[in-house]
Amino acid sequence: MPPLINSAPDCVVQGREGATPADDSVDFILQDRYADCAGFGTFMPGSTYGEDGSSAETLYYILTWLGIVVTVLVLIAWVVYENRQLVGHVARIGRRPAGPDDSPPAQPGL
Amino acid sequence: MDFVIAQVERLQDAAPLEGLTQDSLIIGEQYYFFTVVLMWLIHVGFMSYEAGVARRKNVLATAMKNILTIAVVTPTFYYIGWWVYGCNQPGFPPIGPNSSDFSALQCQSGIPWSDAFGPNLTNNINLVFFLAFLLFSWTTASIMSGALLERVRLSAYLVLACLLGSVVWILDAAWGWSAGGWMTLRFGFHDSIASGVVHGVAGAFTLGVLFNLGPRIGKYTRDGLARAFRPHDLHRTLLGLMLIFTGFYAFYAACLVISSTAFPGWANIYLSPTTLGTIAMIITFGFAGGFTGGYFASRGDPFWTVSGGLAGVISVSAGADVYAPTLGYLIAMASAAMVVYAGNWIEKKMRVDDVVGAVAVHGVAGFLGVLWVGVFAAGYPTGLNNVESSLWGQLLGIATFLPLGFLTGWFASWVLKKLNLLRVPPEVELAGLDVVEYHQDLYLPEVAAVRERIIEPDGTIVEADAVIAEAHSEVIRR
Repeated sequence: MPPLINSAPDCVVQGREGATPADDSVDFILQDRYADCAGFGTFMPGSTYGEDGSSAETLYYILTWLGIVVTVLVLIAWVVYENRQLVGHVARIGRRPAGPDDSPPAQPGL
Repeated sequence: MDFVIAQVERLQDAAPLEGLTQDSLIIGEQYYFFTVVLMWLIHVGFMSYEAGVARRKNVLATAMKNILTIAVVTPTFYYIGWWVYGCNQPGFPPIGPNSSDFSALQCQSGIPWSDAFGPNLTNNINLVFFLAFLLFSWTTASIMSGALLERVRLSAYLVLACLLGSVVWILDAAWGWSAGGWMTLRFGFHDSIASGVVHGVAGAFTLGVLFNLGPRIGKYTRDGLARAFRPHDLHRTLLGLMLIFTGFYAFYAACLVISSTAFPGWANIYLSPTTLGTIAMIITFGFAGGFTGGYFASRGDPFWTVSGGLAGVISVSAGADVYAPTLGYLIAMASAAMVVYAGNWIEKKMRVDDVVGAVAVHGVAGFLGVLWVGVFAAGYPTGLNNVESSLWGQLLGIATFLPLGFLTGWFASWVLKKLNLLRVPPEVELAGLDVVEYHQDLYLPEVAAVRERIIEPDGTIVEADAVIAEAHSEVIRR
């Protein structure tokens, strides 16, 4: 039994040991434990193709939508963060007293 | 021609999964995997190419923009792009290859919660095929990237990249670059290596964005004459283009479908027969013709000579599965020359500041490529319905893709502009994006900075500082 969470889907046969001592047959035993699986990713449906996606289970829908929401939030955060940075820069320039040093920054290739 | 039709039918017979052996599936899986690895070079190349073109104060921001394309297009293409491709092929009214099962399976595989879209022991192909398309998406977004250099906001670019890379181009691919696409099934539209589907649409989208973005400060004189900003490192630009070219071989290869259990073993995206050697010859002769045409049309300008190679390849891509090498060579040479003239016209007459000439190199060459198939390769039965390619079918493709790309790019950038989120403030543009956004110069302080010079419309070379400072004051006054 794995610690904390056993996230392997039901199609994976558990509790079957390999040969002792280990020999070549272990390869076949390992594959045998997945023989009933098609999609077997963690939090995935763990079954063969269902009808029009009905095989997807609630948890996987939630996981996928979580990813979609994170993606959208990341894009919004990018826009907001950069906007704050640019506006802040312009404001800092505006606050500086006018004078000979107020010429454009001495960047190479200006 | 009967022979070609028979080939198509044999490929269709071999298409069902049960006709494939485990070995042939694994060959296909490995094949697409390695095309993905090699296509990374396209993005290394885009980064190097654009960083070389940028002025030194914008090099780091330019490189970061290329890298972050991957960060946003990857998830958006996963969550929506593959669904757009798989579920939007039949068009309106729907048309399919005599089997609703085919469209349903395509659609099912594109839904992000499909069990074909993660670890799956019975599906070797979907994930690697998706990844090949994902790399196409990065490429499509990167085509726009270079044109907007030095004044677009990173975040605005990323939003536009998601729209272009994960929605717009893949929608036109569903329509005209798939086995079940309505344009091919109904009109015989033929664009085998994506001249119009990727390059043409990206170029049109970019033009729409550039109309709203406007030129860099100092690019044009008060009279509207174009100045030239010199690339800060032309060597890096040429190296980048050569890397892109290397990756393009993988791009070409990834556009084929392996049918290892059916003669001749390869098919184009429409499942019509071709061979890997055929397209490899055309891309090579496309480069040869493109370099030559670009060199002579630009009178030996290095930038346009090498860009001409790219334009040449793009112009022969649509028919790369059927062209003779000599035909590809001549088409590429003529198209590259046209692209040089188009690029100059866009810059000087339209007054559109396209930093890398993307609209000309990708947009013009891409749509020329679609057109050339109608002129030089009409009559080939294309796709599952064996509709013959024709000039009208190709013109229909241009008439569909050009507004799709341009209008979506124009409208999205117009919205960003109205929200004041499209372009960096003039003060930031003047200071350089590297210092403001990343708080550092790319180069070590010990590397001596050379004051930049600018080429005036009459060809004289002057110090850039005074010219740009004056242009900046005009912008502020306005």
